[in-house]
Amino acid sequence: MDILVLLKQVPDTESMISIADDGVSIKGDGLKYVINPYDELAVEQALKIREAQGGTVTIVSVGSAKTEQAIRTGLAMGADKAVLIDATGMMIDGLGTAKIMAAAIKELPCDLIFAGHRAVDDDNYLVGPATAEFMGIPNISMAIKAEVQDGAIVCQCTVEGGTKDVKAMLPALVTTQRGLNEPRYTSLPGIMKAKRKPMDVKTVADLGLDAAELKPLVTIKSMSQPPERKGGRMIEGDSVQAKVAELVRVLHEEAKVI
Amino acid sequence: MCDGDQKGVAIMAQVIADRRDVDFVLFEQLDVEQLTQFGKFEEFNRKTIDMVISEARNLAVKEILPTQQDGDSQGCKFENGIVKVPESFHRAYKHFIEGEWLALPEDPEYGGQGMPRTVALATSDFFNGANYSFMMYPGLTHGAALLVEAFGTKKLKDLFLKNMFTGTWTGTMLLTEPEAGSDLGRLTTTAVKNEDGTYSITGNKIFISSGEHNLSENIIHPVLARIEGAPEGTKGISLFLVPKVWVKDNGALGGFNDVICTGIEEKMGIHGNSTCSLTLGGKGQCRGYLLGEENKGMRAMFLMMNEARLLVGMQALSCASASYINAINYARERIQGRHLLKVMQPDAPSVPIIQHPDVRRMLINMKAYVEGMRSLLYYVGLLTDKAAQTDNEQERVKYQGMIDLLIPIAKGYVTDRSHDVCNNGMQVYGGYGYIREYPQEQLVRDCRITMIYEGTNGIQAMDLLGRKLGLNQGKPIMDLMGEVQTTIAKAKEFETLKPLAKDLEKALNRLAEVAMTLGASAMSAKALNAFSFAVPFMEASGDVVMAWMLLWRAAIARQKLEGKAKKKDQKFYEGQIKSAEYFIQSIIPVTMGKMDAIMISSPSIVQIEEDSFGGK
Repeated sequence: MDILVLLKQVPDTESMISIADDGVSIKGDGLKYVINPYDELAVEQALKIREAQGGTVTIVSVGSAKTEQAIRTGLAMGADKAVLIDATGMMIDGLGTAKIMAAAIKELPCDLIFAGHRAVDDDNYLVGPATAEFMGIPNISMAIKAEVQDGAIVCQCTVEGGTKDVKAMLPALVTTQRGLNEPRYTSLPGIMKAKRKPMDVKTVADLGLDAAELKPLVTIKSMSQPPERKGGRMIEGDSVQAKVAELVRVLHEEAKVI
Repeated sequence: MCDGDQKGVAIMAQVIADRRDVDFVLFEQLDVEQLTQFGKFEEFNRKTIDMVISEARNLAVKEILPTQQDGDSQGCKFENGIVKVPESFHRAYKHFIEGEWLALPEDPEYGGQGMPRTVALATSDFFNGANYSFMMYPGLTHGAALLVEAFGTKKLKDLFLKNMFTGTWTGTMLLTEPEAGSDLGRLTTTAVKNEDGTYSITGNKIFISSGEHNLSENIIHPVLARIEGAPEGTKGISLFLVPKVWVKDNGALGGFNDVICTGIEEKMGIHGNSTCSLTLGGKGQCRGYLLGEENKGMRAMFLMMNEARLLVGMQALSCASASYINAINYARERIQGRHLLKVMQPDAPSVPIIQHPDVRRMLINMKAYVEGMRSLLYYVGLLTDKAAQTDNEQERVKYQGMIDLLIPIAKGYVTDRSHDVCNNGMQVYGGYGYIREYPQEQLVRDCRITMIYEGTNGIQAMDLLGRKLGLNQGKPIMDLMGEVQTTIAKAKEFETLKPLAKDLEKALNRLAEVAMTLGASAMSAKALNAFSFAVPFMEASGDVVMAWMLLWRAAIARQKLEGKAKKKDQKFYEGQIKSAEYFIQSIIPVTMGKMDAIMISSPSIVQIEEDSFGGK
């Protein structure tokens, strides 16, 4: 079984993010980058299915030269090979990324695709379903269970307040939700082996796409930091009784919580 | 990991050790990539090392650090000869051995990873800082396996090595007995040769770290014992390999080998590690294999001693490093007291305690020591890698001499100062530092044993003065001083570092003088007097080595600042220069005083009559 994983490199969730001078992007300088955590779930699920059924796991990523680091981490977890579409310097939105993914996948043997349901940097929820759409294959979103059974993928997915069981014939694309699995840690031998695993680097032009059709349909107008957390407020009063009375008044009248 | 958990990760951003500092030592100060010149390490370029350290840190933060408090509060439980480790240790151990982190520098043929020791040390900076009482299980396993690798026959290597390097079985080291602690020559455990070539072992051992526990199905004990009829003292000691469960020649587990745990110690710290009393052959059923030659057990011990002592230094540094990171985070957030210059203004706001001069004094003191000690330990690691790989015999002898000379400092001085750092780390927290809700008091307790085990620090100091100073007619100390001179010359190229370089030069020259005088007196009729100043001499030597490491760092930082340092790196580099300034201007003057005291060598210590100590 040939399994693909769509992988994005995102700023480490430990990083302090600051807005660049242009006001519509973030400062990349000095940021540490990691695999998008939901894509880590995708790698793990692909490895699990490969371990059970045999086959290969290929990572597909759109990024730049530095994306190799995240890809190598996925290879160190156990994926077999990778394709990196180098789109350095291009402004691309989620739909554009999906177009590139679909074009790249067309050239690869593919029975099943896993992707994170969203990337934690821009929270678009778009690339997985849009890639499936461009490819004309079924998409299942937010899986917390995913098993291959008789040429189909059978999933349990989260929906508001509960779960649903769904099934699609292969090839299909499944996006991952937290709870699907616990991604493995990369082992030392895995790290050493990852260095020698094949990674194809292609450009957008290599895939027969031209920049015009990838022009973003959505542009970012501005970015702002969340409001800074305000300090706590001390309740003043001459006695404990007075302070309690004041606290009750504030909770009732100002915060309106009691 | 995703969603809500992100907050947890963000809080943990700076724990255990400062990644930037680890990278600085590896790549900017020591240029660890130079090791790729040796065929064995050609794959270990920066990218690979980065990935290894990142994954080690990841595992340490996510899986091992959460066991730190359990290890302390639950501790090990002893019942009917069985020891149970805290429940959470099992999961952490499983992840640790599945990732094959146990034997990083060892032979891949037997399950090792063939990695430079310097890189292995950097990973253990994070692993030990996460929970070193847990890390003692794999750590001692590694040490025991090294003995099998160095002294075992092909059969023993095939039977034991792979299972030990992969952590399937764990290991220990059985030296101490009730009457044989620092003086191993008095040990009484006996070995009698059997017809099949094995030996029957009988005796009692105490203070055995990881001696019994439920993390692995078998525990392999290297044991020091005396073959019947062997000479008295250390000359009659041999080394044996004694498994808890016998291993058949086909590798399968056999029967219980009569190694019984009779109790565990109640200790001040490292509660997560079982410190066991073991009875071997209580029922006459304990067998072992001879490791190496008869009566050469102590020699085998000495071969392993440098590595073991370096790792104890690393255990202590990890506590200090974690304590410092905690303290700096706390001092930035804890608001208490008005700014000193506004103390008379009743309406002035309270400020984070990092603004108070005395808190800053403690923080920069901790910073300077943690950085200097990290550089020293990694430097010894680098020398070890180079000594093992170089084809040039002259270079090898030089590196080995410097390792031998620096080990008592890397163990004795580093563990002493690390405990000081942990104490400061507790002090920064004020009253909260003393209570169990916060991590600081545990680090003080855990760190304390490192000053005692693997040769007390008094013994380290005597080793430095009595053996290492005069090694090869004093060539190692001359080589070391040459290296310090190189750094001084480099620092003098920068106008702003010149005064610091000159101060270090003065201290270095004074140390040379003190070493000559004390070294000579150690070999004279005044030996007792000289050795009563062994510890002050180790302190002075350590101080100078710290100042050297910090000036070395400052010279690199200066150079980077004069080039095009990235903005986020600027503060880091400026901080390096401040560490060196602080240490050389505030600590080294005290060191000069310590050296004056050594030169006076007050005879009071030796002369005072035992009865004059009073108390009876």
